[in-house]
Amino acid sequence: MMYWRLLNMSVVAGLVLVAAYAYDIKYQSTLRAERVAKLSEDLRQERDAVASLRAEWARLGNPRRIQALADRHLSLTPVNPSQYSDFGNLPERPPQIVQPTGSDPIEAIVSNPQDADIFTGSIDNWLPKVPNP
Amino acid sequence: MRNSAKEQSAEQPAPGWRRRLIHTLLYGRGVDRGAKSRARVGLAILAFVLGYGVIALRLVTLAAAPDAHNVRRVSADAVSTGRPDILDRNGNILATDLKAASLYGEPRKIIDVDEAVELLTAQLPDLDATEMRERLSSGKGFVWLKREISPPQQEAIHRLGIPGIGFLVENKRVYPNGAEVSHLLGHVNIDNQGIAGIERWLDKSGLADLHMAGFATDRLVKPIQLSVDLRVQHALRDELAQAREKYQAIAAAGLISDVNTGEVIAMVSLPDYDPNNPREANEPNRINRLTTGVYEMGSTFKALTLAMALDSGKVSLSSSFDARVPLHYGKFTIHDYHPQNRMLTVPEIFTYSSNIGAARLALSLGVDYHQAFLKKLGQLDRLRTELPESADPIVPKHWGEINTATIAFGHGLSVAPLQAVMAINAMMNGGLLIPPTFFKRTPEEAAAVATRVIKPETSEKMRYLMRLNTEKGTAAKADVAGYYIGGKTGTSEKVVNGRYSTSKLLNTFTAVLPADKPRYLLLIMLDEPKAIPETQGYATSGWNAVPAGAAVISRIAPLLGLQPRFDLPLSDRLILAKGG
Repeated sequence: MMYWRLLNMSVVAGLVLVAAYAYDIKYQSTLRAERVAKLSEDLRQERDAVASLRAEWARLGNPRRIQALADRHLSLTPVNPSQYSDFGNLPERPPQIVQPTGSDPIEAIVSNPQDADIFTGSIDNWLPKVPNP
Repeated sequence: MRNSAKEQSAEQPAPGWRRRLIHTLLYGRGVDRGAKSRARVGLAILAFVLGYGVIALRLVTLAAAPDAHNVRRVSADAVSTGRPDILDRNGNILATDLKAASLYGEPRKIIDVDEAVELLTAQLPDLDATEMRERLSSGKGFVWLKREISPPQQEAIHRLGIPGIGFLVENKRVYPNGAEVSHLLGHVNIDNQGIAGIERWLDKSGLADLHMAGFATDRLVKPIQLSVDLRVQHALRDELAQAREKYQAIAAAGLISDVNTGEVIAMVSLPDYDPNNPREANEPNRINRLTTGVYEMGSTFKALTLAMALDSGKVSLSSSFDARVPLHYGKFTIHDYHPQNRMLTVPEIFTYSSNIGAARLALSLGVDYHQAFLKKLGQLDRLRTELPESADPIVPKHWGEINTATIAFGHGLSVAPLQAVMAINAMMNGGLLIPPTFFKRTPEEAAAVATRVIKPETSEKMRYLMRLNTEKGTAAKADVAGYYIGGKTGTSEKVVNGRYSTSKLLNTFTAVLPADKPRYLLLIMLDEPKAIPETQGYATSGWNAVPAGAAVISRIAPLLGLQPRFDLPLSDRLILAKGG
């Protein structure tokens, strides 16, 4: 008799535990489902925002708009075919002779006065002029 | 059962064998009816078990399914079709979807219609109050009030808190480049369904079905990439607009295609329209002249005639033809625009653009040969591309010698310019006819759909002739230094009231660049350009279409990655000598 009572008690206790566990799982899963829904909603909003930014970027980068701006603000002209060249047409770089006499040969190369007045053709107006020593 | 019972009672006095016979006829020979009824009971049990099993399974799946209102929210969103983005060949966006809120009403839930109308029209002044009152009193379950309103408006209306008024988020198609790529892209209607151009093609090739099945509501579909280069498209459009204004032409059109793959790199037909405002597209002057219009292409067609003659083997570059006197056909006379009044060699026919010479060339091969050759080049059938807009060529019903004579120099047969470009591409690229496409295509894919129409040697000779024509022919003004251009002009007189008009011209210019290793073909078309002081009173192609073409080439060649080369030998040495 004692055994039966004990068995009944344990079964009832087990039932309560299982019910509590099931409730907890259900609750957790609801929470997570809500979180998933919220995240996917966020994701959708982000994607829409990205799409609208990309559309705006495309509108701003439209060649017609760029051309109008360039015509108004820049004094550039279209490139002439004769202004194109390739690396094969570049002359050899002249050899540089540096005397290894100084205490710091690398410093000697860097501050080589031979290079000081050589500028590349297109940007020399933009570089600050360094007076030759 | 009742039937058999009746039979049994009727057959009561019958002898045993008759009964057996009837039993056999009714139930089949040797059937145990007891076993049969047991089987039936078993079947009934099985059916009940299955039925309850299905119900039980359904209960389980319903319990396991996610919240129903979540699903509803997603599908209520985005009523109009989500469409894939359209990109150009470098990945620039040509068309994309944005989300826009639309205002709707549920008339059955609205308490005070007048108040609702008053409040809404205060926020959206462009709404028509009487029409809105009508709609909201209609007693329907759902009515649209205004599609695509701005976010601040949505916020303001939301704050009004009118019952029975709500928003749905819809996809709205936007074209950030405006009119730049109009005809090619086409446009969509208010429900985001493609109704023209590539947009229509998208719907026809499965997007509509996808949407019907409820899949294409959001950004799930992959973007599609066209063969068009936005920068080249812009350069072409800009130059054409300038030329159209300068020469006061009714219309201007231009096409750039890859000779070796058939891809269309740029396609412009002015006047065009802004796909963001598709109402303009319905004006008849704004059609896409390159695919929907058919034109007599004029001297451009001489390239096809000469290629046919050279490919037949009966004519060589040194053959000469009689162009001393105009050709008479009944009441028709074929003249030359630059009459030389002497025998002309084949290259001279091309460079002097001799109508008489081209006509004699075609006639020497016969009417059937000419017709078969043009058929092979696809000039006599409607050209179908991805664009839904296309037009049938106008082919003479009865094709006699006079037709061959005139079609030889591009009169009497009207084709869509895109169609002519396809044929000239084949003359240039080594003899392969490749159907044009608006999607990216590799040379291998192109080779799979190509058909050989002329020999590679003939194509080489044609390139020589095209180059020769820019060195010392009608297209000399197109010789932009460094790109080794080969070109052919075409000036055709338009038919006005049934006769050819000498003042209304359709000018074309076809250029291949570079002529020794062809990569791109350019077609420029000006409709009724006027003579201006700068052109010394001339209105023929060499004075307007050719300079426009030269301007386009000098702008697009660097964009297309063509390396300028200088000090190249003349065409007879660079192209002809190589071909042997």
